[in-house]
Amino acid sequence: MSVNQYVPDNKESKYADSARAFRQNVAKDLADEQLRSNFHGAMNYLMDKRKASFPSSDELETLRQQCKLIKQRALVKLPLLLEQLENKLHENGIQVHWAETINDANEIIAQIIESKNGKNIVKGKSMVSEETALNDYLQARNMEILESDMGEYIVQLAKEHPSHIIMPAIHQNKKQVADLFAEHVKGFEYTTDVDTLIGEGRRILRDKFSRADVGITGVNFAVAETGTICLVENEGNGQMSSAVPDLHIAITGIEKVVEFLEDIPPLLSLLTRSATGQAITTYFNMITKPRKSDEKDGPEEVHLVLLDNGRSQAFADEELRQTLQCIRCGACMNHCPVYTRIGGHAYGTVYPGPIGKIISPHQLGIEATKDLPTASSLCGACGEVCPVKIPIPQILQRLRVESVKKPTGSPKELKGTGANRKTTEALTWQVWSFIHRHPNIYAVSMWFATRLRALVPNKLGAWTRVRSAPKPAAKTLHERIKLRTEEAS
Amino acid sequence: MSYKFEEQSKSARNAILAKLKAQVAGADYEKLPEEPTFEYAKQSREQLLENFVSLLKSNHAEVLPIKEEEIGAVVVKQLQKRKIDSLLYNPNAQYANALASSFGASSTELTLLPFDFNVNENKLNYFNDIPASITSSRWAIAETGTIVLWPTPDEPRTMSLVPPVHFVIADADTLHSNFASLVEQQNWKAQMPTNVLLISGPSKTADIQQTLAFGAHGPKELIVLLLNSQ
Ligand code: SF4
Repeated sequence: MSVNQYVPDNKESKYADSARAFRQNVAKDLADEQLRSNFHGAMNYLMDKRKASFPSSDELETLRQQCKLIKQRALVKLPLLLEQLENKLHENGIQVHWAETINDANEIIAQIIESKNGKNIVKGKSMVSEETALNDYLQARNMEILESDMGEYIVQLAKEHPSHIIMPAIHQNKKQVADLFAEHVKGFEYTTDVDTLIGEGRRILRDKFSRADVGITGVNFAVAETGTICLVENEGNGQMSSAVPDLHIAITGIEKVVEFLEDIPPLLSLLTRSATGQAITTYFNMITKPRKSDEKDGPEEVHLVLLDNGRSQAFADEELRQTLQCIRCGACMNHCPVYTRIGGHAYGTVYPGPIGKIISPHQLGIEATKDLPTASSLCGACGEVCPVKIPIPQILQRLRVESVKKPTGSPKELKGTGANRKTTEALTWQVWSFIHRHPNIYAVSMWFATRLRALVPNKLGAWTRVRSAPKPAAKTLHERIKLRTEEAS
Repeated sequence: MSYKFEEQSKSARNAILAKLKAQVAGADYEKLPEEPTFEYAKQSREQLLENFVSLLKSNHAEVLPIKEEEIGAVVVKQLQKRKIDSLLYNPNAQYANALASSFGASSTELTLLPFDFNVNENKLNYFNDIPASITSSRWAIAETGTIVLWPTPDEPRTMSLVPPVHFVIADADTLHSNFASLVEQQNWKAQMPTNVLLISGPSKTADIQQTLAFGAHGPKELIVLLLNSQ
């Protein structure tokens, strides 16, 4: 085998198993009062902040419409924009790599690091690198990788994964963080004072930055027109990771590309306001080239890894394609009554909440995620706040249909289609639909249903665990109306 | 650079692009829906300035409206107040001489440190021994209280990030009402440098129990010396 022949590793993502355990996770996390109160407080805070940052609903609605169309334009031109982005980045001196699967992406990154003999790796916040489980992959190759976003750092210390896409450690309160520091940080004097805790994190992480030779970050937007990678952040860790080490590797999903530089300002404004209610984040970092020969800092090499992992599959269906408009603001989870109660870990997926329910089936298949779309009251809050107007409730219903329909084996079909299909349920609905299409049979069956109402069993599986069994009325609505009309005349 | 993965990456590229292209073949790019833009009310220079300053302040930046000839004296005073004894600066900057003479006349021992080193070889010193820096800026944005840095070989990108206190000179005459108009009017797309930085306050985080803390990784303090605002 030549060195150029890499055998793709199609091992299932570790999140598939945890997503399968959704029901057990929910039961466990709902019973955790501390967790519920942490989420409750945090979601209220984020909802208020968002609301205050959009004083004019005219402005908000115009911006949402504009940004939806910007993203839809980018998607309908996606293959062209990806090629343009690649060309521009090449011109600028940034190297581009493509990966269809998470393990391919991890392997690319591992090999780039090995080729430069990288030892000390720092990572800025990146949900795509969570998606690929990059830390596990690199650690298995004996590479040390340190999360540098404060929230991610806490989550890494706790050996957990983020419970929110913007605020990764939102499930922990300051006491829990202090306990973690006491356990893991040498010389830490116990305190729950947040300034001191952050000061400790700063001391440790700045020391790591000053020794790091590899920096890994995500990407918020990639601009095809100019070949520019944009990072949105408050802490400065993204900038530390991208500007201080000699080697910068950015990883992103293929849907993050936009066409023009002028598409960025409205998207940025909606992103930060929807996410945390900030007019803008402390830092907005636009990277277009590696260090030039006359410059005194910046990475000598910059790489961008473009990951598919199910995105091209979502792209194949016009309705599901809208999922790819997402700019990862987190507003849908902040406003979701289910997320607020069960928290981010219960989903078992990388992306929790409403966006997680609609994107995970493309990444993990419907079989592993079949319970997720059902965990919604379809209240519609997510769709109403989504800055790029993704009709999340509509897509949830669509995914429910996909999970119970008969698979046809078409290549466009989602992996695991029909995983929730049960013969009795399918049969019941077939009978139901037959009856409702035939008025005579309908009338007869209704007559029986009302007359035999006493025979309805008291126990109806899951339904009667928390409710009493429904009983048909003594007379159908038709009969009663008929009776009333007769009485009146 | 050659590495084992090149072939795999190439075939992934072709596979992904082919899948995407098959879906949008025949799309008519002339007929895309018109994208609305929101018309913001025009504001006077005074209003824009007021907004700019108040946003920066609410994001915990210190804003000092000063005259150009005061830069040296103001910086010295601010450093003394914080008991800081040295400042990283760009010796080729317009204000460099003014800084040098104020530093010379200072009642306390103050050192100007020229940025004449390569960061790669001096990271430990850079992170541990430089308490403050001063940089210029290119533009300012009123709508978000933002300062735009356009790093150059003389004023490298990490200069506004690594030292714990950052002085930045902003000029009210470069104030734009919003980011969109700035990008468009100044034709950014034709001149993107290695790195552009938009800065709107000192480094911060709310990652522990939504409690805001400043100085997460970058500067704990951002001091804006605002010229031409009177
Ligand atoms: S789906 Fe919409 S609301 Fe949810 S994270 Fe994405 S952009 Fe934000």
